[in-house]
Amino acid sequence: MTPAGNQPMSSNRRLLLLTVGTALVMVALIVVSAVVNGGRGATTASQAPDLSSRVASIHTGPQGTVPQFVVKCAFSHTAPDDPIVHPGMPGMSHSHDFFGNRGTDASSTAATLAGGATSCTKQSDTAAYWAPTLSDHGQPVTPLGLVAYYRPAPGVDPTTIEPFPAGLMMIAGDSMAEGPQPVEIASWTCGTSSDLQVAPPTCPPEAPLRARLTFPDCWDGVHLDSDDHHTHVTFSNDGTCPAGFPVTMPQLTVTVRYPISGAGHDLTLASGPTFTIHSDFFNTWDQSELTKLVDLCLHRGVVCNVASNRAEDEPQQAS
Amino acid sequence: MSTDHLEVAQPDHRPRPRHRAVWVLALLATVGLLAGACSSGSSTTSTATTVAGGASGSVIHVPADHPTIQSAVNAASPGDLILISPGIYHEAVDVTTDYLDLRGIDRNTVILDGTFQFENGVRVLGAKGVAVENMTARNYTNNGFFWTGVEGYRGSYLTSFRTGNYGLYAFDSTKGQFDHSYASGSPDAGVYIGQCQPCDAVIDTVTSEHNGLGYSGTNSGGNLTIVNSIFRHNRAGVVPNSGSYEQCYPERKTTIVGNVVYDNNQADTPAIDVALLAMGNGILVAGGRQNDIERNLVYDHERTGIGLVPFPEEDANDKVPTSEQMERPCSDQKHDPTPDPKSAGTVIWPAADNQVLDNVVSGSGLGDLAFGDLSGEGPASENNCFSGNTFTTSAPTDIETVAPCTGTGSGDPKAGSLDLAALIASERPPAGDYKVTPEPPAQPNMPDAATAPARPATDVPMAVDLAAIAVPTKPTDG
Repeated sequence: MTPAGNQPMSSNRRLLLLTVGTALVMVALIVVSAVVNGGRGATTASQAPDLSSRVASIHTGPQGTVPQFVVKCAFSHTAPDDPIVHPGMPGMSHSHDFFGNRGTDASSTAATLAGGATSCTKQSDTAAYWAPTLSDHGQPVTPLGLVAYYRPAPGVDPTTIEPFPAGLMMIAGDSMAEGPQPVEIASWTCGTSSDLQVAPPTCPPEAPLRARLTFPDCWDGVHLDSDDHHTHVTFSNDGTCPAGFPVTMPQLTVTVRYPISGAGHDLTLASGPTFTIHSDFFNTWDQSELTKLVDLCLHRGVVCNVASNRAEDEPQQAS
Repeated sequence: MSTDHLEVAQPDHRPRPRHRAVWVLALLATVGLLAGACSSGSSTTSTATTVAGGASGSVIHVPADHPTIQSAVNAASPGDLILISPGIYHEAVDVTTDYLDLRGIDRNTVILDGTFQFENGVRVLGAKGVAVENMTARNYTNNGFFWTGVEGYRGSYLTSFRTGNYGLYAFDSTKGQFDHSYASGSPDAGVYIGQCQPCDAVIDTVTSEHNGLGYSGTNSGGNLTIVNSIFRHNRAGVVPNSGSYEQCYPERKTTIVGNVVYDNNQADTPAIDVALLAMGNGILVAGGRQNDIERNLVYDHERTGIGLVPFPEEDANDKVPTSEQMERPCSDQKHDPTPDPKSAGTVIWPAADNQVLDNVVSGSGLGDLAFGDLSGEGPASENNCFSGNTFTTSAPTDIETVAPCTGTGSGDPKAGSLDLAALIASERPPAGDYKVTPEPPAQPNMPDAATAPARPATDVPMAVDLAAIAVPTKPTDG
């Protein structure tokens, strides 16, 4: 097949989102300076990420157009830990649900996670993925699982993609958001639908609720993390990474699936309202296998896996 | 994903000198041009499409020359034959070299075993003309044998069982063939060809049993022919379907002729949601169009023998394309601008323009021949037709009078119509575990596997003389 990107969002929609995004930044700058809360992330106003440049172009619509590989991971465990934002401080974070590496905790490093057991169908995916715990009427909801899509961002030449560097840490979405985030980065939807919403929609039982997060795909080539956990990575635009970000990586989109459908729910996140949805990724893949998949699937321009509503079978929960 | 662990003692085969020459490639191209010029087709013969000519290169023996299949593949050049000796190979083999032939010396004792750790037995990624033949794959979390993004593929004399998605699987691939193969123990489909239009593919002499679906093909069709095969003891037998969760919708122009389809009510198979929904049906077109279903022997199904039903897709990504849009090949269609999902909502993919001719159908709980729609206007309203079939029951009643393939229908299309809501809502036994599917009996070997020259998939699909295919007789064990 000929590799090609799905069309990104329309220019009108992007303009609207940019406007909304800019407004959000202004609100955030005012509010964030007053909120420094250990349970909500220790970001200060001076460290606040510049959200105005953080509008991603993403894939929506049917799968099968652009090359990809997909990993399905069962829910692993829940803990008030965050090895990126609160490393070495167990219990300091709001509650997170962990997927992938089964050993992830507050003290995890690339070295401790390497070669660990995984909840993913691909045994080589020993990376750590996590998201804030969802509650319904105050009761924690155990997620069904996580699906991770690895593909070129729209417009990116797949052959230019390099694997995530070993040990890379990054965050999609904003746990400190004070209002809706751009749906390209952080959204809610039903099943594999492309109808992305800022708040959880009412979903049919055949396509239950998902949170959908898209991570940055451009890296500065130097830092595996940064003080605000954002500035070492950013999003490509029209297939190109901006100056200062010489390394083009796969665009990682994760969906966290919940057993939530129908009406009558009262949903909140451990990080706050549902618009604070975010996700963290710590690249502790078997790096040689990750490199191989980038080569076999993305560089060769083929679809290595498809995840869709028709195949909702879960990986085995047992470790 | 490959490992070096080999359970068998390695026979004392000395590495052989390999004679590889540029002329092999030149010959491949030349023969390809000639073969292409000579291919022909007719209204009753599926078109054989040639991607390149065939010529044999070196023979690489596993484990004598290379200890693993993967290492042999990595060392191979286009036109080479990789000949694999009996043994259990704990590997997930990836193929990226064009025109290879991977062949087991014995289908039943050359075994790729994923031990439920590896995803695919053999996966061919964008490499043209790769044939895999005469071996077994078992215990893989995804697929037994998988081709993706290729032009030209062939799986022959393959056995696949206990796989997390599919047994024999071609996605986004054209010009291919599955023949003389066996698949069991997949929650999705034993045999699947999806997202291609035209597919230019043939499935011939395949047995698919104990799967969620015997055959499935989402958004595939176009010179896609399924003949002379057996689909039995699955949740559902042959189920082409449409959906906008993948590209190139809808499914259309699949030809299903001369197959034996029976007892697809199996309650203990693994099953994805579609298989649960389709349970108890022999041949079920779920939202497909322009399919020809002729001269099949279909019997003993709890729901329908041959059914044409709409496929409701919740939160669809796109609407049903127009007739003009459906005329375009997948290679164009899949690069269309991303649709706005807000305009789609729940989409009903209708079964339309299908013809059901000269089948022999019996023993069906809700109708040997059946059509279901949500409007209740009957099969003719969507230009589906039924003629020349041998059957006892139908829904609606007298379906061949209501919707004949020649002339104008008469009668009441609402009389005895299929109760779709009840069909969808009724209880199904839960899915079983694919990992416990019984091992199949030994399957027939490819003739002369050890000595036949390399046969890369350059002359695929094979020509099929559809007119020569009669309704099959009932198998002795069926």
